[in-house]
This record gives sequence, C-alpha cells and structure tokens, in this order.
Amino acid sequence: MEDGQIIELYWNRDQRAIGETDGKYGKLLHGIAWNVLRSREDSEECVNDTYLRAWEAIPPTRPGVFRVWLGQITRNLSLDRWKSRRAEKRGGGAEVLLGELEDCLPAPAGRAVEDGELAELLNVFLRRLSREGRAMFLRRYWYGESVAEVAEALGCGEGKVKSSLFRSRKALREYLEKEGIAV
Amino acid sequence: MRAERLFRALGLVDPALVEEALETRRRAVPWRRWGALAACLALAIGFGWLVTGGFGGYGGGMPGGADSGSSGGDSAGTATPLDPGGSGGSGVEEGITFMSYAGPVMPLTTAETAAGLTAERTVTWDFAPGAYSDGEPRQWGAAVTDAYVLRNSTGEDVTVTALYPFAGSFYDLSVTGLPEVTVDGEAAETALYPGSGSGGYQSASGLNVPYYTADLERLDSWEEYKLMLEDGRYRDWALGEAPALDLPVTVYEFSDFAAPHEKWPAATQSISFRIDPEKTRIFTYGIEGCGRDGTAFCYSYFVPDGVRRSSDLKLLVVLGEDIGAYTLQGYQDGGCDRGEEIDGVSCTVTRSETTLDAVLDRLCPHFKEMYVDEWALGLGESFDVLSSALFRRTAGELLYQYSLCPGAPVDHYIEGRLDDVLGDVLSQERVIYLSFPVVVPAGGSAEVRCACWKLPSFDYGCSETENVGLQGYDLATRLGSGLTFTSQRAVLDHAENVEVTQQNFGFDLEKGITAVDLDLEQEYYYMAIRVKDP
Repeated sequence: MEDGQIIELYWNRDQRAIGETDGKYGKLLHGIAWNVLRSREDSEECVNDTYLRAWEAIPPTRPGVFRVWLGQITRNLSLDRWKSRRAEKRGGGAEVLLGELEDCLPAPAGRAVEDGELAELLNVFLRRLSREGRAMFLRRYWYGESVAEVAEALGCGEGKVKSSLFRSRKALREYLEKEGIAV
Repeated sequence: MRAERLFRALGLVDPALVEEALETRRRAVPWRRWGALAACLALAIGFGWLVTGGFGGYGGGMPGGADSGSSGGDSAGTATPLDPGGSGGSGVEEGITFMSYAGPVMPLTTAETAAGLTAERTVTWDFAPGAYSDGEPRQWGAAVTDAYVLRNSTGEDVTVTALYPFAGSFYDLSVTGLPEVTVDGEAAETALYPGSGSGGYQSASGLNVPYYTADLERLDSWEEYKLMLEDGRYRDWALGEAPALDLPVTVYEFSDFAAPHEKWPAATQSISFRIDPEKTRIFTYGIEGCGRDGTAFCYSYFVPDGVRRSSDLKLLVVLGEDIGAYTLQGYQDGGCDRGEEIDGVSCTVTRSETTLDAVLDRLCPHFKEMYVDEWALGLGESFDVLSSALFRRTAGELLYQYSLCPGAPVDHYIEGRLDDVLGDVLSQERVIYLSFPVVVPAGGSAEVRCACWKLPSFDYGCSETENVGLQGYDLATRLGSGLTFTSQRAVLDHAENVEVTQQNFGFDLEKGITAVDLDLEQEYYYMAIRVKDP
C-alpha cells in the first residue's frame, strides 16, 4: 500500500493503518530501535509506541515523507527508553553512538540556539558533504547502523566508513565552532 | 547531555537527506556504482588520509609527526584517531601533531627578483582575548602581525610587486577576513591571487597541464606546505593566466518539470543512455543521482516541487562523444528501482552545443545566487572576499586540474557533479597571495606590515588526546621567499594570558622572555599555547 493510502487510513481512523504501517516499515523501525537499544523487548515496545504516536498525531498531521517521520519518532522514543534503562545498567547502541557524537561537539562557549535552528545548520553541513559521506553519516547517526552495516550497504570497506565518519565528525565540530554555536 | 541533544537535532534534519541516505543503498543494487574506479578512490582516500590526514602536523621530519600517522594498515590507521591512547601522544616531545592544522605563517616574497634588497622581519602573536558575537571574550586564535623592513643598498629606487602568502579557504576568510597590509603606514591596495586547492588529482587530465598542485588529499602538515611551495611553481600558477576551458561540450538542459507530487513527494526523473566512457565524460549540475552499469548510465533528479531545496537549473554536460539516444523515465523516488516506475513525470530537454568555459560562465553566478544568496548555506560571507570573477577563475582552475579527457583516470569528483566542484572552490584549503606594490628608495627602506587573525591548529575536544585545549601556531622563515633576510624575530604580545606548553622558539615567559631572535638557517618554528583560566 502506498504511503498516501496508509495515511488516509489514519485519517479515516481505520485501525488497519497500524498493520499496514508495520508491514511496510516495521522492519526499518525495529532496526532503528535495535541500533539504539540493543534490546529486543525494548525495541518492540518502542516500535509499538511509534504506531501509537502516529495514531495520535494523524490527523491532524499529514507527514511529508512518512517513513522518515516514523523513524524520527522511533529514534526519540528509543533514546528516551535508553536513558531510562541507563539508570539501571549501562550499555546499548546509544552509548556508542553518543560517545562518537561527542567528537562533534563544539566548545561550550558558543551561542545557544533552538533545536530548529540547530537542525537547519546541520542541514547546511550535511549538504556540504559528498553524497556518499552524507549517506555514511546519516546511516550511522540517524539510523544508528553499525559501521559494518554501513559498509555493506554502500559496498565499501569498514575502514573507509570509519575514516569518513571520523572526518565528518571533525568537520561538523569545526563547522559548529565556526558558526559559534553551543550544543 | 550535549551529544544527546545533537542526536535529537539530527533527527530533525531535512527528510530528503535522510531518505537519500537509504536510497544510496537501494541504488547500489541495480546499478554497480562506478566499480573499480570507486574502489580505487576508496584506496586512494584511505591511504592519503593515513599518511597525511589528521596526524600530519608539526615537527617536520620528526619522529612524532611521521610515526603517529602511518602506523598500521587501513583498519588500524583509521581507528587510531578514535583511540585515545594512540593519537597525538607520540608527537608531543619531538614536535606537535594536531588533528586540525591551520598552516604556518609564511614569509613575504616578491614577484620579481629583488636585487639589492634585504629584509628584517618581526612576527608578533598577540594573545589578547577576542570578543565574540555573543559578547563573551574568548581567546581562540591570535592577532598576527608580520612586519618587514625592506632596505635598499643600491643607488636607485627599487620597485617590487610584493606577495604576501597566507593559508586558508575562502570560507575561512569569511571568518578571519583578509590580511590588512600597510606600506610605510599607508594602507596598500592589494590584489588577490588564490593558488590551487589541495587535492589528490594531479596530472589526471591528460592535457598538457602547466600547473602545480599538491599531490595530497589535505594540507594537514607543515611538510605538505613545504612540498607545495618550495619550488615556486605553485606561486607561478597562482599569478599566471587562467586556463582556457574552450573545450566543446554538448549540454542537455532540463526544464518545465512536472510530477504527481501529491502522491509521490520524492518523484524522480531519470535519464538513461549508453556511452563509451573512453570517449565520453559526463558532468552534471543540479542533478542528484547517478549510477552506472557497464556502459549504461543513469542520471536522476528529484523533480522540483517548490518545497524541497533543489536547483531549478539542471544540466547534463557531455564532453567528448555525444550520448545519442536517451530514455526519460519517472520513478516513485530517487532509488529509480525497477518496478517503481510512475507516469506523470515529465520535462523538456533542450540540447545545445557550447564550450566548458561558457557552461562555467553560466553556472558560477547561478551557484552563488542559489546556494549562497537564496539558500544561505553558510557560504555567503565567502563572497565578501571573493569576487565573482575570481570565483569563476578558481572554478575553472579546479576543473582544469580535474580529469577533463574522456578515458583518463579519475580519482576525484567521480560523479562529475559541478555543484561539488563549485562548492569546493569555497571550502578547499589553499595558499592565497596578496599582491601590492612597494617602492624602496635608493639607500633607504620601506616598512611593510601584514596583519591578520590567525586561527590555531587544534585537537578536537573529545578526542581525549593530550593536545586538547592547546592552540598551535607555527612559522616558516623562508619557505617560498626570494627575499634576503638579515634578521627574523618572533614576539608574543599579551603573553600573560597564555602558557607556552611546547615550542622551539626559545620563549621563556617565566623569565619575561617574550621576544626572540630566530636562526635564519632554521626553516621552521612551532609553539603550542594554552589559554590561562581568567
């Protein structure tokens, strides 16, 4: 079923919307949650919560790019759950992802900005990367894929992915510092 | 937790980019993406980065500078920067290795042979805190004054064209501004001569290229600047005539876009054709996708919908043998996958014959207008220092350095995206020359002062190396200069704000030694400073 049709199901309050969403994007969303949480049970709950959020949000929302919109919800829910679990025990994919993202953080003395402005700056930065570098960066830090998964998806070696990610993190930090932004 | 905020903010980036990241994967299935060439590029980039990137840094020829960058194979080398114990440490005692290298302060030279002239040089780093846009004083960088007294021992006035080289990208200059030059206290009228950007694409073009560019991936160490500048060819290229790109090309321009965006927000137009890559080379502008399967090529773009940022100017530029018959097809999204063809995607294709020069003449203003003025992609200030004419010239040079002959090996811009080429003009590190006239009277002298804001070399905050928090500054005493120096002196101003942690200058702040005479036989000096807590 096309995205527009699924969204219509939500608008019509037709519960088949959940099943159609799960059938089409469940695997993707489970992957995102798993990459952050490394827990099947927690991932399952996050994906289910994603469907619930979608149900609550549509209508009135009419998502532009449906799977990205769903993925955003799953990412945030997964991170929330990771934080709550973190108090109990350390670990999970987010530990590693956030650790790597630390490399990108500019000196804290910069200007505070709203999330929207920060995202817009990230758009600028991402568009300045090569398409391949951008794909590597977003697969790793948006979808949470492992380096090996990114390498396999893009048909290159893990070393190249690591190298590209390192340079992109370095470049992002430089960019944010040049912009005088605090994160 | 700041990384967590960054993670969440990444979740808000343009969905088209997030989609594109997945499409890249999907595209790889039906289309073998550039096969062996891409593999070669991966090797070239990986190796180049290992040797010169990130861990080049200070201490020319010193064990630390070399060893830390070349340990191990691919996986070991690329892992090194992420390994707190492996980065930077080995270089500290013998020199300093920084992840981000800002380039040395380089000496004044002259376009002509400056017979009868001698020079005394004084370089001052002023560490007075800078005031930032948020009003907070923060010392990041130094105000550098590179001052010269030129003496004329002859009985006649000597007029020279002085050249002051400095390192940076045009984007950097939008932050730091151009050096300010005075001659005998009067502001000098300067002209800008950008050298070529660094890049790993030397002599790929197959043309008789009379240029010089560093055969390097990045300018990440003093040694790379030395290699690039010491024989004078880089400077000659910067001052020389712009290369002519009067190569005939066939241009396919796409316009009058239409697509069922209501149903397919990422509707995509593809154009497919067969070429012999030995006889044809393709460049694009405003076209996001490309793929290749043997001699079959497929280029594609998201059909402009007035919402997504997308160039309204979309060109396929064919160098060499024309593409002949082509097929247009609409797809649901950028994947252009079989089975996802859709109706209702259309455009007008206009074919014309022109030259590569004419194409660049058209694209440069469009790039500036679209990416810089309209989309405000953080590049706007670059044009405060870069005229449209210089942008056009530098773009031509960059393309000239690039492989222009069909069939010649390509190790850069594999997809031929002219958008990338034009963007790189702004972001590539290079050496730029400021040119200005100086008259040194018979038996007299002239004072030249070049003042600039110099950004430091540094390590990234969370790299956990022992260089984190340090600012690196370095100086070349004679690199690329034809002047005869009789003395050189280094001075620290407002040194009370900093501590010098490593150096080979001979400063001793505890003893109040903030000015030292340099050994003219020593070609390179370095120091690292740490700003004291207020």
